[in-house]
Amino acid sequence: MGSVTFDVLTTAAILFVVSTGLMVILGVMKLLNFAHGAFLTTGGYVAYMAGLAGVSPWLSIPLASILGFLFGLVVERIVIRPLYQRPLDAILATWGLGIVISQVFALTFGRGVQFAPSPLSGTVDFLGVEYSAYRLAIAAIAILLAFALIGLLSLTRFGLNARAVIVNEDLARGLGIDSTKVRSLTFGLGAGLACAAGALITPLLSVDPNMGLPWLVNSFMLVLVSGVSFPSLLFASLVLGGTQVLVSTYVSPILGGMTIVVLAALILRLNPKGFSRA
Amino acid sequence: MNLINLLFGIGVGVSLGASAYAADPIKIGIPVGLSGANSVVAPSVVQASELAVEEINSKGGVLGRSLQLEIADDGSGAQGAQRAYDSLVFQKEVDGIVAMETTAARNAGLPIVNRGRVPLIYTSFYEGRSCSPWMYINAWVPEQQVAPIVDQFMSEYDAKKFFLIGSDYAFGRGMLNFTREYVESKGGTVVGESYLPIDGSDWTAIISQLRSANPDALITSTSGGAPNVTLTRQLRAAGVTIPYGNYAVDEGTAKSMGEDAEGIYIAASYISSIDTPENKKFLEAVEKKFGDDAKTPNELSVPQYEAIYAYAAAVEKAGSTNPVDVIDALGEVTVDGPRGAITMDKQHHAALTMYLGRVTGDGSVEVVRSFENVDPGEQCPQFAN
Repeated sequence: MGSVTFDVLTTAAILFVVSTGLMVILGVMKLLNFAHGAFLTTGGYVAYMAGLAGVSPWLSIPLASILGFLFGLVVERIVIRPLYQRPLDAILATWGLGIVISQVFALTFGRGVQFAPSPLSGTVDFLGVEYSAYRLAIAAIAILLAFALIGLLSLTRFGLNARAVIVNEDLARGLGIDSTKVRSLTFGLGAGLACAAGALITPLLSVDPNMGLPWLVNSFMLVLVSGVSFPSLLFASLVLGGTQVLVSTYVSPILGGMTIVVLAALILRLNPKGFSRA
Repeated sequence: MNLINLLFGIGVGVSLGASAYAADPIKIGIPVGLSGANSVVAPSVVQASELAVEEINSKGGVLGRSLQLEIADDGSGAQGAQRAYDSLVFQKEVDGIVAMETTAARNAGLPIVNRGRVPLIYTSFYEGRSCSPWMYINAWVPEQQVAPIVDQFMSEYDAKKFFLIGSDYAFGRGMLNFTREYVESKGGTVVGESYLPIDGSDWTAIISQLRSANPDALITSTSGGAPNVTLTRQLRAAGVTIPYGNYAVDEGTAKSMGEDAEGIYIAASYISSIDTPENKKFLEAVEKKFGDDAKTPNELSVPQYEAIYAYAAAVEKAGSTNPVDVIDALGEVTVDGPRGAITMDKQHHAALTMYLGRVTGDGSVEVVRSFENVDPGEQCPQFAN
């Protein structure tokens, strides 16, 4: 029983970490970033190359976030910004970008699976349950990340501007907020978060050119259900991820695999606003 | 000038045409998954085919004719295989087919082979009991693969309670169903059997089930690549240390997984450390022909190499490429290759020497035991002789 509780909590933590990047971009830019999966993959390859170079696995996560941020700024300038007036085309462009990125990885590293070193291995005894040390570490990181992101949105100038753009972009621009800069920084932030998440989950998985794809679908469902709010995303991860673990454990892992998608559809059917109060 | 060039061109064309007619090459079709799930292993299979053809041609070919490969991408699936087989059988009009493919691709290709009456040698291990008068198989089936691992766990570790984990597809379920029957026939019990969808990589819930079932040994049959290695990593992260047999891991994967793979048991008909002159000669030939581009020979590429020799030997024995005669000969010829002497005389399947290997700390595979000429059992009783 104890380990199932931990499974629920850590699975929710992983889902939360993986989805934040997608939500940030959706919230501020009203753009569904289909390259999110490819950004996760990028993070995985950063962790893999950092491992090859002998960099500490812990450092590979901030490294991935910095590279992802810079990469995001470049992508925003070249691919996204020219398409601001054509939101549907912009979504299509991110999809194409995702394909290009994963093909570049396939050409560079081959289609085979690679491995990134794990910063923590084995189990620890926590509250009377022997449990995977790295999964517990991910849970801790997720909680810190949630506080940091909430802090960023509610305590900083960038956060204030971003919230203004979320609520009403035209009005925000009228008040002198440089919405282009906010959008650019947001896309960088979203990409950085996605890359860091990719590096973070890689030690539990393996790196291959399509590793981000299944996560893209789940993040997408979570963000649809949660709306644009970190506490509500945390709640959605807990509900959907928790149900997934419970179904997998007590019913069948095959049904568990589709729990998130089915449950998200159900929730949106009953309450089109999902968990968001806005 | 132009006229002279033209005449010269016609002359060369005619003489080339004539000589090509005199020694028409024997065409062997190779449908293989250059894209899709098999794309990781396909390059090694293509290399093995090229090497075999080059070796046979350098010794004068077969019946004075050279061998020629026709490689077609089957996309690792049914649709691509249909196109590949259609083009090989009806457009390129190949004389024989040697195929390392997924089960889906093989099932899609078989009707076309039956219709076109082309001898087919299937060279991938598979879940067993696929029968066609036009097909021979020189790779292992569950009967040959399962016993070494289960027997080792029961005798060496005194294991009674087994836990089985697989990917949800024909091969994964077929292997584990057979394992369950075999374990139960030997007096053991299966305390759990769980599957994830074929591309699933989050094994959290299954690992929790495994821990609460507290088995003596674990056997897994996932799809290759990511699902397999993520399962292994997550097992290690969860501190699972019971004896662990893995049907889907190969030497290359074990090497790249590093210390996570240590202690995994595998059963295979080919392990590159097999200590025979034939294997050494083969490894050197691969190294010499492909140099730095050489793909590590493996459980899928070596049967392919041997199957091309088997086809050549059958044509030699039949005295022509007449499909009916070649099919009869295929069940009689013996190929002495890297895996030893192999004859496909067991209901279109082959008895194989199986090696039980254990992955060591540096990712290499040490041979723990070998089992001579393990019989494939009743695969296609209609072809019993």
